Amino acid sequence: MEKEGNIITRRDFLRAGAFAAVGGFMGFPFKGSAQGRSLEKSRVILIRDKEVLDGSGKIQEKVLEKMMDRAVMVLMDAPDPVTAWKRLLSPSDVVGIKSNAWYHLPTPEALEKLLRTKVLATGVLEKNLSVDDRGVLRNPVFRNCTALINIRPLRTHNWSGLGTLLKNYIMFTPRPADYHGNACETLGAIWHFPQVEGKTRLNILVMLTPQFHGVGPHSFSRDYVWNYSGLILSRDPVAADATGARIIQAKRNDFFSSPRPISPPPHHISVADSRFNLGNSRPEKIELIQLGWDEEILIQG
Amino acid sequence: MVVFLFISVLLAGASTAQAEALDEISRGLPDKILAWAKGEEDVLYDDRTIFDYIDGAAEVYRAYNMKQCLSRRYETADGPAIMLDIFDMGSSEDAFGVFTHDQDGEAMDLGQGAFYRSGWLSMWKERFFISIYAEQETEATRAAVLALAETVSRLIKVEGSKPRMLFYLPSTGIRPRSVKFFHEHVVLNRHYYLAGENILNLGRHTDGALAAYERKEGSARLLLLEYPDRHKAESAQTAFLKHYLPEADDSGMALLENKQWCALKVHEKWLAIVLEATDRELAQKLLEEVTAKIR
Repeated sequence: MEKEGNIITRRDFLRAGAFAAVGGFMGFPFKGSAQGRSLEKSRVILIRDKEVLDGSGKIQEKVLEKMMDRAVMVLMDAPDPVTAWKRLLSPSDVVGIKSNAWYHLPTPEALEKLLRTKVLATGVLEKNLSVDDRGVLRNPVFRNCTALINIRPLRTHNWSGLGTLLKNYIMFTPRPADYHGNACETLGAIWHFPQVEGKTRLNILVMLTPQFHGVGPHSFSRDYVWNYSGLILSRDPVAADATGARIIQAKRNDFFSSPRPISPPPHHISVADSRFNLGNSRPEKIELIQLGWDEEILIQG
Repeated sequence: MVVFLFISVLLAGASTAQAEALDEISRGLPDKILAWAKGEEDVLYDDRTIFDYIDGAAEVYRAYNMKQCLSRRYETADGPAIMLDIFDMGSSEDAFGVFTHDQDGEAMDLGQGAFYRSGWLSMWKERFFISIYAEQETEATRAAVLALAETVSRLIKVEGSKPRMLFYLPSTGIRPRSVKFFHEHVVLNRHYYLAGENILNLGRHTDGALAAYERKEGSARLLLLEYPDRHKAESAQTAFLKHYLPEADDSGMALLENKQWCALKVHEKWLAIVLEATDRELAQKLLEEVTAKIR
């Protein structure tokens, strides 16, 4: 148990007026929270294109590439995609693309393939590039990596509230169960492991078909995913996750026709901000740039 | 020595009986259900290997003391696969408890209780929790899921009892499907986020029930906890007052920031906490009623 006075309770959410509204993922006044976060806003790109999925849900790779190119250019203030990627990576980098292999909603292969192409175009050697999820601790590229790209679909999760970019690094610990306590509150600690710290160059939250609710042992039903047809890109994993969480919360409220807070509250996002200094979770600290299709976008910048 | 041997034999017997029970159910399962046929071999998971199977949800079943899970896959050329998972929870109380974890959907007259929603059927009977899941719902999958549930229910010959503590919950105004039974604070937090830390000292040694009420005076939730002894219940009360309700008055009540009342009371090894009561008298009444029932 934490030292006296540092226990976070529902009362803290109530005092901040935050519980019903946001489910506690956008930050609230932590007692004894650490300081030192960036004073600058975190840039988050939300790009959508309704043509990225065809009638059967198949990804249209050319549309996907256009989305990725545009998003990374805006994120990096670059005149073209190659320049943007070169601002993220150098040819000498050893690059791990941390993907997600969850059976029901994995990182789409088309995105993994696209990222490989973009990374190789910066001059990174093929032998210095790998895509992996559950094998990262044994993968020689990941063990020696100098740069990481973090990519996964956003979904609800029984234990952490949401399966987020922050949570995607849980495979970097040999003991994931150690981080399951208090709705996986301390996931941010993993980002300070030597194998990970300071290496993440880009975070991509896949919002093509996000999952807003889960039931049963398999935690998945096609009734609870929808074609949002988007991607969220940011250098800041916390800001990207907080933005995605706002969209999921809005979708839940809309689908269930009443406030239905994400449960348990995914407060690992706000804790990653306030305790682990990994980025910004509060909307006023996020520069949200929306590109492309804006129908039923469920969020305002 | 004799006592030790006797206990060992009893424990071994219990363990064997358990395994046989799941085996017995497995032997009775149909190879075909409508257009679906048994796919790959059945797999038996324990409380550790279950993580390999249901990444992300395994902790829920472990929090209810799961012993084993038998998993069978049914396949058809024309549609999605159907997964049958039979969890041996070790006790009917825990089978009921894990069943209360998710009570959305259409109530079905199967087992000792069942719900169907979005291709997933959950059911409990005796010490078993049964999940039958089709990744995509069609009319055909629904028919097959329900038929399979009926078969499994028939294979479990006896019924089990619900947790005794549920009978202490006041019945007036209790909202249908709101009752949850649990042991661990992480499960309580899933249903009602109270605190990041385990301030009530919940665990395998404690039983808990959470219920929602709607009465003419207003609405409230009641959390009833049973500790191994009075001392532990009082310690939990002290911790709750310290971390959650420091401004409670002499009767253990306080008005919170959302203009709702929170109140608590210890009686012997029981701790009752009223949460989100829209009316002070309702909070008081619920505490009195639950205490009277326990007496």
